[in-house]
Amino acid sequence: MATSLKQSSTLVIDDFQSMRAMLSSFLKAMGVAKIDNAATAKEALALLAAKKYDIVVCDYNLGQGQNGQQILEEAKYKNYIGYSTIWVMVTAEKTMDMFMGAAETRPDDYLLKPITEALLEARLSKLIEKKRSLQPIEDAVSAKDYIRAISLCDELLKTQSTSTQELQRIKSDQLMMIGDFPAALAYFESIQLIRSMPWAKTGLGKVYFMTREYAKAKAIFQEILEENKMYLEAADWLSRTLDALGELEQAQSVLTRAMTISPNAALRQKNLADLAYRNGAFDLAHTSYEKAIKLGEHSVHKSPSAYSGLARVLTAKNDPTEALRVLDRSRGEFKNDPDAALQTAVIEGMAYQKLGQREKARAALDLAEGLMAGQPGNVSTTVAMDMAAALFKIGDKDKACELLESVVKNNHENAGVIGMVGAVFDKAGLTEEGGELIKKSTAEVVGINNQGVVLANEGRFEEGIDLMRKALQVLPNNDLMIANLCGMLIGLMSRDGKDDHLLLEAREHLDRVRLLNPNNKKYNTYMNMLSKLASLPA
Amino acid sequence: MEQEYTEDINFSDFIASSTHDMKNSLNIQIGFLEELMGECRNKIDAAMLDRLGHTIYEAGRMNVNLIQILSLYKLGKSIYPIDIAEQSVRDVLEEVVLQNQSIMGYKGIEVAVACAENCYWYFDRDLISGVLINALNNAYNYTTDKIRIVANINAGMLELRVEDNGRGYPPGLLQANVDDSKGISFSTGSTGLGFYFSSKVAGMHRNGDKQGRLTIENGGTYGGGCFVLNLP
Repeated sequence: MATSLKQSSTLVIDDFQSMRAMLSSFLKAMGVAKIDNAATAKEALALLAAKKYDIVVCDYNLGQGQNGQQILEEAKYKNYIGYSTIWVMVTAEKTMDMFMGAAETRPDDYLLKPITEALLEARLSKLIEKKRSLQPIEDAVSAKDYIRAISLCDELLKTQSTSTQELQRIKSDQLMMIGDFPAALAYFESIQLIRSMPWAKTGLGKVYFMTREYAKAKAIFQEILEENKMYLEAADWLSRTLDALGELEQAQSVLTRAMTISPNAALRQKNLADLAYRNGAFDLAHTSYEKAIKLGEHSVHKSPSAYSGLARVLTAKNDPTEALRVLDRSRGEFKNDPDAALQTAVIEGMAYQKLGQREKARAALDLAEGLMAGQPGNVSTTVAMDMAAALFKIGDKDKACELLESVVKNNHENAGVIGMVGAVFDKAGLTEEGGELIKKSTAEVVGINNQGVVLANEGRFEEGIDLMRKALQVLPNNDLMIANLCGMLIGLMSRDGKDDHLLLEAREHLDRVRLLNPNNKKYNTYMNMLSKLASLPA
Repeated sequence: MEQEYTEDINFSDFIASSTHDMKNSLNIQIGFLEELMGECRNKIDAAMLDRLGHTIYEAGRMNVNLIQILSLYKLGKSIYPIDIAEQSVRDVLEEVVLQNQSIMGYKGIEVAVACAENCYWYFDRDLISGVLINALNNAYNYTTDKIRIVANINAGMLELRVEDNGRGYPPGLLQANVDDSKGISFSTGSTGLGFYFSSKVAGMHRNGDKQGRLTIENGGTYGGGCFVLNLP
């Protein structure tokens, strides 16, 4: 990280030669020696990949292709830039997506044209100072030591030397991250008491969503949107909440409205498409997937699931031929992506089945099966369900059951998923048999877990850890089991002293727990214990 | 439930889209002009440099007006991306002064900022900067040679004052409420836009049951015109 403006290595991105020259001359006048220029997104990304920059000054609107925000997202996604890089967006006008996106892909600041040298220098100096004061917190976050990050925020909040709001936001993010929802709730409420702010109010709604108090969450997100319809983060959350409440049609219309306000959001467009499909609004799903594909073209959010979604809806609309064409396109776009290949193969099986070409359907599903076996931890529940339904249709009942069994074992405490598995069995006319399978598989997982707990209680941590690690090779998505493994790693280290490898393993497991189930009850406790362990002298 | 969101194109949409276009062209012009001024600072005589400086000033004024028209259009349609967030008041004030420095220097006006280092407050940075730039532009026209921007927090409100040492506002303007459009006059060139924009922006800032407001008065430290913005 650059300690001064003069020592910074800088990159100027603008499609107009005169603007590039002007911005570079400003930087030169400030005494900056290292200045690179890029005229296009492609040039910019090539430079960002090859060199480490301290400061990037980037025009938002770059004509054709990627815009400034998309370059920032890709650079962050591909780790070309880190937290310490200062990214300043230059723009003719303020748009919501510049400061509304995910915190990690928001530019550090934006400057409205026309820009003067004095203004640019003032902003850059302030940003260098700010980055420096927040660096210890950022270090704690990237080491996944969220508890320490929170206490650092508290310390800085006492000194009042930095912006309160910035620290409040970081602190509340960490509270949500470790899943300490009661503390997050109290914190957001205390902020709201002093001044009602859309971000804090959204935070409050998120807490209610996480703790499954959907009615309260819904009321809060609706209120935010009534006060400010441009605050689309609340629209995304309102739609998720309505979805959780089973009010799919309302969820769909909330996203439809959000898309009219901000028509270029690829991710939201895809969420709308998914919702519409589940709602049976196939025409809307059809057009929405097409738009999502187009919008995602230049973005890191370009996703194979938009293609497979489109193919799925085409199959449902009795146009399997077109569906197959879309899948061909997907294969061309996502070469060497096993997840994409899997999604494509599953939907292909469904499309050939619809066309009455049983053999081709069979071959596609066989391929899917092989791909699944190659990436057991990476198979989404949706794909597995699609696959099971297709296998039932083609008459391969055993394989379908086997697949659903693994879904149950990976999610034995998740009522929503278990319900979906039940529905797949219902559709196949196997309600009773399905019920039995669900019961038996659940009991099996509970058995292994209990065995582990017994070993842990007897202090036989190594054996317990061994048992859990083995079980997880087959059940990579069972958050309860991963959390238990974590507990045993902590138990072992509490007894024998800390070990950096085991600490890292435990932290990685906990991250996965949070990803699989943000409501896991042990997450927060284990997070605290790990943080205490980490701070002990070696 | 389903609402129609396709907007029919009307006159104000045309004005907005062409204002936007004009603003872009103007920004390119301003960029070129400033480049030109930097290049020829030591090559041309003072009178010519003066004229170039005045050209930039007028272009800047146009830009401010266009931004205000666009912002009002968006605020009216509730599509302005308003972002009320905590700001370092001193940073914002210093930036506003910086942006007008060359012009003030060109007319020999001294601009002072009186604001505590740790003064933070909540507002939309761009909108409030716009209001202050407009106030500075007014003060530029009315002052003799001094302008002062003062920030204070009292009773849960941030008070921002732009004071000058000119003759003060004429009585007619002081009596009129600043947010009605009595100031509009095509013959004198006083459009009333600045005041209208400023009081709209002030009113958009709310906290609980308190609302921002704009007032003008004569007096202050220099005994001239005072533009006073209060934000909750």
